[in-house]
Amino acid sequence: MPETAKFSTLGNEGGQDNSLKANFVLQNRYKIIGVIGAGGMGMVYQARDLNFTDVKKLVAIKEMQPTTGEAGLRATMLKTFRREANILAALSHPSIPKIFDFFDLNERAYLVMEYINGSDLEALLTKTKDLPTEKIIDWAIELCDVLDFLHNQKPDPIVFRDLKPSNVMVDSLGKVRLIDFGIAKTFVTGVKNTSIGTEGYSAPEQYKGDMTPQSDIYSLGATLHQLLTRKDPRLETPFSFNERPIRKFNANVPDGLIQIIDRALGFNAQERFQNCREMREALEKLRDKPSSNQNQPPQSVQQYSSPVAKREGTDIFIEDSANGAIQPKWIFKAEDELRSSPAVSGDLAFVGAYDTNMWAIKSDTGELAWKFATKGGIASSPTVDEQNKLVLFGSEDFTFYALDFRTGRSSWTHPTKDRIRGSARVAHGHVFIGSDDGKMYALNITNGRLLWAYDASNPIRSRAFVTNDLVIFGSESGEITGITLSGNRKWSYRTRKSVMAAPLVDMKEGICYVGSTDNFLYALDANTGFNSWRFRTNGSIYGSVAIYKDLVIVASVDKYVYAVNAQSGKERWRFLAEGAFVGAPLVHQDAIYVGDTDGYIYCITASTGKERWRYKTRGSITSTPCATNDTILISSMDRTLYAFPHVG
Amino acid sequence: MNIFRRLLNSSDAKPSDISNSSVEIKQPASKGSSQTPPVPAAEATSPITTHNDVYLGDGATRPLNEETLLNYITPKHVSFGQGTDIGSVRTNNQDAAFSFYATTRSATETPDFGLFVLADGMGGHIDGEKASAIAIRVVAQKVLASLYTPMLDLSNDNQPSITESLQEAVEAANAEVNKAIPDGGTTLTAVILMNNLAYIAHVGDSRLYLINGNNIDQITRDHSLVQRLIELDHITPEEAEDHPQKHVLYRVLGPNETVEVDMLTRRLPARSKLLLCSDGLWGLVENKDILEIVSQSIPPQDACQKLINLANKHGGLDNITVILIHLPD
Repeated sequence: MPETAKFSTLGNEGGQDNSLKANFVLQNRYKIIGVIGAGGMGMVYQARDLNFTDVKKLVAIKEMQPTTGEAGLRATMLKTFRREANILAALSHPSIPKIFDFFDLNERAYLVMEYINGSDLEALLTKTKDLPTEKIIDWAIELCDVLDFLHNQKPDPIVFRDLKPSNVMVDSLGKVRLIDFGIAKTFVTGVKNTSIGTEGYSAPEQYKGDMTPQSDIYSLGATLHQLLTRKDPRLETPFSFNERPIRKFNANVPDGLIQIIDRALGFNAQERFQNCREMREALEKLRDKPSSNQNQPPQSVQQYSSPVAKREGTDIFIEDSANGAIQPKWIFKAEDELRSSPAVSGDLAFVGAYDTNMWAIKSDTGELAWKFATKGGIASSPTVDEQNKLVLFGSEDFTFYALDFRTGRSSWTHPTKDRIRGSARVAHGHVFIGSDDGKMYALNITNGRLLWAYDASNPIRSRAFVTNDLVIFGSESGEITGITLSGNRKWSYRTRKSVMAAPLVDMKEGICYVGSTDNFLYALDANTGFNSWRFRTNGSIYGSVAIYKDLVIVASVDKYVYAVNAQSGKERWRFLAEGAFVGAPLVHQDAIYVGDTDGYIYCITASTGKERWRYKTRGSITSTPCATNDTILISSMDRTLYAFPHVG
Repeated sequence: MNIFRRLLNSSDAKPSDISNSSVEIKQPASKGSSQTPPVPAAEATSPITTHNDVYLGDGATRPLNEETLLNYITPKHVSFGQGTDIGSVRTNNQDAAFSFYATTRSATETPDFGLFVLADGMGGHIDGEKASAIAIRVVAQKVLASLYTPMLDLSNDNQPSITESLQEAVEAANAEVNKAIPDGGTTLTAVILMNNLAYIAHVGDSRLYLINGNNIDQITRDHSLVQRLIELDHITPEEAEDHPQKHVLYRVLGPNETVEVDMLTRRLPARSKLLLCSDGLWGLVENKDILEIVSQSIPPQDACQKLINLANKHGGLDNITVILIHLPD
């Protein structure tokens, strides 16, 4: 692609210099002083009008030089140039430069007009560090005024088509003037070669050839957006203004102005202001408002640090049902704290308590079915094995228990050498359980006989994930380890701090997701342990992840729930809670349930991260909810197991 | 192959060694859907029957006959081809491509590692070819240094994130192009292949396709104005075909000090194929024609040449560059 230009508007540079030189006199009248710019199809000169002998009257002369060699096309171009010049000459408005003269010479056309002593907005942006918002509002009002004037021309409205900072001059009096009336733009034919950078300010419909007054409103919005954010839209993804919220880059912009610009930038023309008069009125109202409203404390920038997050405080998204309308279906009180998660099987729910008991509760009514006492508190979450009708868990008494879940009678036990705080995983006819004694045990599910014990030399509290080939788990040392089903190490990946969370493997993609207390969520190749990507949160991650479609959901001690794209490791949305998260999120249908250490349980829409409802329990929640079809169970440190209705 | 077979047949060749060899084909777990080992068409008559004998369904395993054994080809490793052509119109080739593939067999189990990079430069005169050359060189240098060399150190602990390393390499390439070629730019599509997991980085409108059976999927997203208009439902793909601004890109390496890189990972199906190509191919050759050529059982290098030939036959309006990667079983 050889003949390309960085921006298509600069397409005519490079050739030999055939611009007019200083002191050259055009038409015996205009003495060229110098070049002041390059327009779409030729130079713009500053010149002196020699007819005024006593005063130094300056003019700007725009040259139109058809670059095409083809005679017919050249004639058309000159004709169009002349027609536009005639339209312009008839316009009289303080923001439009006056036209003095028009003539052809040596196959070039010249337009003589008022010389404006000032600077265009693009130059102002580079020259300044910060433009005062009040000034920008004034300019916006003047621009609305001149655009409204153009749009109301008879018989046909004039659409400026090319509003952008470089086409708006601010003169010596601080008033805006529109320059470059898109005369040359008409002639810019399709660029055949690949070019870099889009026009940036044009409305979507302009790319289909539709030009309406609303297109100018979009361009005005884009111009104002750039003045406030200093983000050049030509260098960004087209039509992505909403991904660069003004607040994120400029904390001092009043809400009212942001709303006006957002509306002007509506993707569809009908979403924008109906006309420039309407937009001007909105701006004037804002300008005339007592300034108290504009000086409101700026919202924290931190809150906007994600490109997707558009939260404006938590309360806004709470739907009506949240205001006390969501109440537990039933609650069950244990005799001490519930630190671990419940599990369900059919009509029974199981939860271990620090009162040493494993409780079995009827999941539809919350009545007690049976309880089983161990010799220590229970911090390990129970695991249900449907096939053998077992509920499996460990205790602070160093022992791993397998109970018949219908009766609560012990089926078998297995001793370890320290407390068991991790949870078990059942797969391939075995149960895999880690202990604080540093070992991962593989036990026969039917009799508890030891198959092997893998020594990780550090306490294991992370529940193992078992694939067809590997048992993957984390340990206190920060290592994530993949061992074969026969108990031999295949790979390990070291994070910087302990890994308490359970790995989760997307079996289809073979990617293992696991959070660490070093704040990162890791995506590892489950076969090799190679780090595919990692995602940084601002707090430790204790809980495992959940998966919703292509999103990996993780909750952090930094009080955020994050949704991360599984393929790219980039954030999709984040949700700010009241307290830190130690437990993990649960995805149930299209909802996420998660509890925080301030005692809240939240229900969040999985695709968007918006809150549906919240409920405050009386103790910290350090566990993960679990779901039956229509019920969500969650345990709290207030010694209570809660059952909430799930609304699909 | 014929010479080889004749040698075996005429000489003693210790047939007992072969029949005693440990190669066994177990009864497939799911009947009916099992894939029979590929047998060249010419051999279809006699070996097929012997072949079927193996699947008697009695659970017993028997040695295969010699001919089947010798013709039994299961690709265990990646094979790839790379081709480029100036096209029929341009006066210089502004595309650049880099292919690297390392396969190891040893007790340490170093995974196979591939790096494939394609760049399509733009900018006046020679700026484009310089930009693409810088881009592939920097990406190759950074990726091999940050990922491949450490793999040979057996330093599995605390190894860097592959996506992060790849992204940093592309960002470094951007900075380098930005510094060296102020008026130029380049697209860049890079794939790191580790066993069957692909890590992809992408900026611009070169493309990566995944071809699996009869499906051809474009994995990368063009950073072009028309693609953006399509995504926003503002024009149809048909309207994009002859849109006057079809070739306007909004994101490439070079023009800015920083660049946003599309990153993604993909687990690749067995026997699938990856195709990296510049717009000189996809702008002139339809997907169905690409699919047809790529699906032929010919070496990937030959397929690359055929793709280039077809683009030239359709006008060769731009430089054409392709990298085709065949995944093993």
